[in-house]
Amino acid sequence: MRTGHFQETTGQLIALTDSPAVIGWTGVLIAGLLAAPLVVGNYELTLMVTVLIAVVGAVGLNLLTGTTGLISLGQAGFLAVGAYGNAVLMVDYGWPVWLSLPAGGVVSALISLLVGIPSLRLKGLYLAITTLAFSFIVSHVILYAEPITHGPNGIFVNGAKILGVNVQKGPALYYLTLFVAVCVVLMVLNMQRTRLGRGWLAIRDHDIAARAMGIDLTRYKLLAFVVSSFIVGIAGGLLSLQIRFINIDVFGLILSIEALAIIILGGMGSVAGAIMGAVFLTLLPEAIRIAFNLILTPGSAFYSTYVYEIRGVAYGAVIVAFLRFKPDGLIGLWRDARKYWSNWPLAY
Amino acid sequence: MKHLAGAVIAALMGSAAMAADPGVTDTEIRIGDVNIMTGPASFIGRAVSIGSKIAADEINAAGGVNGRKITIVTEDDGYIPARSFQALTKLLEVDEIFALNGTSGTANVLAMMPLIEENNLPTIVSTAPNELVYDPVRPSVFTLGASYSDAFYAQLKYIHENTQPENPVYGLIRQDDDFGLAVEHGYERAVKDFGVKDGGIVRFKKGTSNFAAEMIQMRAAGVNVLANGGIISGAANILSEARKLGMPLESAQVWSEDMPLSVNLAAQAGYDYYVGDYVALTGDDYDAFVEKAKQYVTADDIAAMNRYTLVTYAALHAMAEAMGQCGQDLTRACTVENLRKLKDFEVGGIMAPISFDNDKQLSGTAIAVYQLDAASKTFTRKTDFADY
Repeated sequence: MRTGHFQETTGQLIALTDSPAVIGWTGVLIAGLLAAPLVVGNYELTLMVTVLIAVVGAVGLNLLTGTTGLISLGQAGFLAVGAYGNAVLMVDYGWPVWLSLPAGGVVSALISLLVGIPSLRLKGLYLAITTLAFSFIVSHVILYAEPITHGPNGIFVNGAKILGVNVQKGPALYYLTLFVAVCVVLMVLNMQRTRLGRGWLAIRDHDIAARAMGIDLTRYKLLAFVVSSFIVGIAGGLLSLQIRFINIDVFGLILSIEALAIIILGGMGSVAGAIMGAVFLTLLPEAIRIAFNLILTPGSAFYSTYVYEIRGVAYGAVIVAFLRFKPDGLIGLWRDARKYWSNWPLAY
Repeated sequence: MKHLAGAVIAALMGSAAMAADPGVTDTEIRIGDVNIMTGPASFIGRAVSIGSKIAADEINAAGGVNGRKITIVTEDDGYIPARSFQALTKLLEVDEIFALNGTSGTANVLAMMPLIEENNLPTIVSTAPNELVYDPVRPSVFTLGASYSDAFYAQLKYIHENTQPENPVYGLIRQDDDFGLAVEHGYERAVKDFGVKDGGIVRFKKGTSNFAAEMIQMRAAGVNVLANGGIISGAANILSEARKLGMPLESAQVWSEDMPLSVNLAAQAGYDYYVGDYVALTGDDYDAFVEKAKQYVTADDIAAMNRYTLVTYAALHAMAEAMGQCGQDLTRACTVENLRKLKDFEVGGIMAPISFDNDKQLSGTAIAVYQLDAASKTFTRKTDFADY
């Protein structure tokens, strides 16, 4: 009988997984995701694209906040920079999307240095407020740099093609987003196994102790900002491809709050948690809508008058209840479930 | 054999009907509505929804559109453009709507535009008649409502010609977005046309609530005719600051300031301000509309009605007229074609007759100027509907 899970070498410790079951189930999940466009409708596919974009954004934020412990409320700003970077390069300068999309991420990463450098001595709420202020600065710049950003009029993002295929709708957009999401997840999982990743964790747990151990806080924190913003910028680019129109209203403060909620609900510091949080929070409104449609009669006076606000309250209530009863997030729930079945029938 | 051939032809015709555009059956036409049903601006979405309901119930009570009943399917976007896109995708793919008659805000309708164009979806934009919506013209998109630019120009013209304040100095305070830009166009046109003194333009960030600095700047410039580009609480706070500073003001407002909620906030400053609107806020036609509405919606809904109720009601009637002209062979292409031909369509006097037979597929541009009596919180119409 299996009594525990022991790793005896550094190689085993930093391996992505040593479990054949995990490898097998991941393969099944990837196969299922690849086959999804064959079995689901356009609306479900659109939802899946939204989930995948949220996954990319959440994994990026998780790297900064969950792994390095630097709280950011400026994700809407980085998302906007990435989206505008992609849109401007693609629409106004005619760059192909396979170049403009990563370039949007690079622009976001470079801009992050502007907020990263003055924020090096800050942490906790002070850093959160600084990044929030950055988000406001971004929205001002977008509105006033009209020759570049088209100001309040926004930009229609059309004509993204890869190998002659329109990648802004249907299965093509889905596969592009899935490809990016898988790349980002693998990249972050691998980074976390390196000296850099362990350094970020050390900074999160105790920055003074980390410095005493020889970790260059300035470099590591800036790298966290740059890598996180690059990923979030890519998510912004994907968002611009999906909705095909961007202006400053698309990147409201609520996006930053939702991004933070995703990684808290998923379980801070865990890539799997960020993915679970993104899936859960993106699909929660849809689940609530379906549940309400089963309970109430669409078209009734009560339904048309109050159902939307009640759905909003239910959305908030589910999140609050979750954090109250499962503060370590979805990943905690998952770990508990796994532990329960591993130890079954002796689980307690 | 003859019967069999007839049956085959009938079956083929039936299948052809089945294969027609989505959202139409022999008994029903599904009309979509993407709206702000949650969040601070949800009172607008609810008013829109009520307008659609009144129109749909009235049309259905009169036998529907060539016997087909109208069903409204509403999706909430919370005023977030990315969600508008998601909501319209759902309406198209899951609910299979035939047309769209509720389109949320400007950025929201623009986010939905690629889907609208791809599906040749007959759409009447009635809550955000921004120039960005009808320029460039999209074949299946029709806009109902005047421009913000004209609304401000109309009010400033009325003030210039009728109130004649002493040593008039005009000033504009506006949001730093697409709406603010449109307001600025109207203001600049007015200042140029009337040759009045321009006290300056102050921009503020959307969501700003404290306007002390901005209004001190206005007072320093001697502004006594203000184009107030704030919306709802913003507009009320601007007037409140002006009152604190003791500024004598003739103030022009955007049409959102004629909604009961806005009036309750803004009237506290005590200014008898103006609004320019393309729907009737007073008069026999308005009263008749309210009486009609009472037949179809609850007392709660009546209390929640505002200008957006009227304009959405008018828009759905225009849509129904275009669909009705298609007869039994109802398609999106036919509806779009008939909307394009719509001319002088009467909507019970709650706004000027609707005509989409112009290059921009734009109607409802005629504006009436109203003045608030801050003490009684009622409006008086100062001009007839006119184009500016």
